[in-house]
Amino acid sequence: MRVLVLALLLPLLTSPVTAQEVSDDEVNAVARKLYCPVCEYVPLDDCETPACRQWRAEIRFQLDVGNSPQAIIDDFVARYGQRVVGTPTDPTLRALALLTPWALALGALLLGAGRIRRWHRERTAPHPPAPASTLVGDDVRARIEADLRARR
Amino acid sequence: MPDAERAALEPPDAARPAAARGSHGLIALIAGVLLVSLFFGFVFSRSNPGQPERGAAPAFEVETFAGETLRLADLRGQVVVLNFWASWCGPCRVEAPVLQAIHERWRERGVTVLGLAYTDIDRHSLAFIEEFGLSYPNAPDRGNRVSDRYNIQGVPETFVIDQRGDIAHFFYAAVNETALETVLAGLLPGAP
Repeated sequence: MRVLVLALLLPLLTSPVTAQEVSDDEVNAVARKLYCPVCEYVPLDDCETPACRQWRAEIRFQLDVGNSPQAIIDDFVARYGQRVVGTPTDPTLRALALLTPWALALGALLLGAGRIRRWHRERTAPHPPAPASTLVGDDVRARIEADLRARR
Repeated sequence: MPDAERAALEPPDAARPAAARGSHGLIALIAGVLLVSLFFGFVFSRSNPGQPERGAAPAFEVETFAGETLRLADLRGQVVVLNFWASWCGPCRVEAPVLQAIHERWRERGVTVLGLAYTDIDRHSLAFIEEFGLSYPNAPDRGNRVSDRYNIQGVPETFVIDQRGDIAHFFYAAVNETALETVLAGLLPGAP
């Protein structure tokens, strides 16, 4: 019996202590923030080209040696340029991508501020009494008064 | 009700709700954004012409896997076969022995073959170089700086640059040995 227990425990005692393996989820969490190097705007975690598979293997390797996700992304950007994080390489498109959100936000801000200012001005301004003649013409007024007289 | 009476009963323009006037501003904003987007789209479509196939070859400087700094300008006077490749690329495996043979056969005649690893992992690139016994200089394209300048769409792609630094020929896919040798012979007519 003692021999049997020792035989069962022996593999556990002799096997080296291995680091926890990097899971696919951990790899994909980093890969999701990067883009395929040879396709148009395909996230790395959703790409099956040989290049993507090699890059995911590299992410796994770097996670395995203890690099943080951000360090891995920074390393990829340093090695392969800004396109790996989805920033356009064309200077015109890059400028457009960077400026458009700010331009839209500024436009919306200006529009909103203008509307608030107009609304505030209309609420605080004294309302001039509307001259009766501007709303109801003399002929209408005469007809109404004639109707009222007839009812009495 | 007659039109005249209705017009008399309607409030004047100044009394229209502010929302009606505000919506004009919103429409103007959306139209402005659309016009700007169209403008940039047009500019971008005009500024993305593909790989250069003639004219001056874009200048570059790279550090090879062996640690040597190479500048295209320093190779002026030689014919340069600039090959973009990657270890994960199937056709690159086919053309690597061809480029090595060209390097061995044409090196003494004034041809420099230069390989640039495109979006590749360094240790895989080195394994590729060792596997095919490539003795011509190879370098990683750090930051894709060179491939961006040459507007690389994929690999393999190869440019033949003449002695004056102009692009003489562009191979879109794997190079064909006979075709490449024909181009080189045309550029070096007196070569033995």
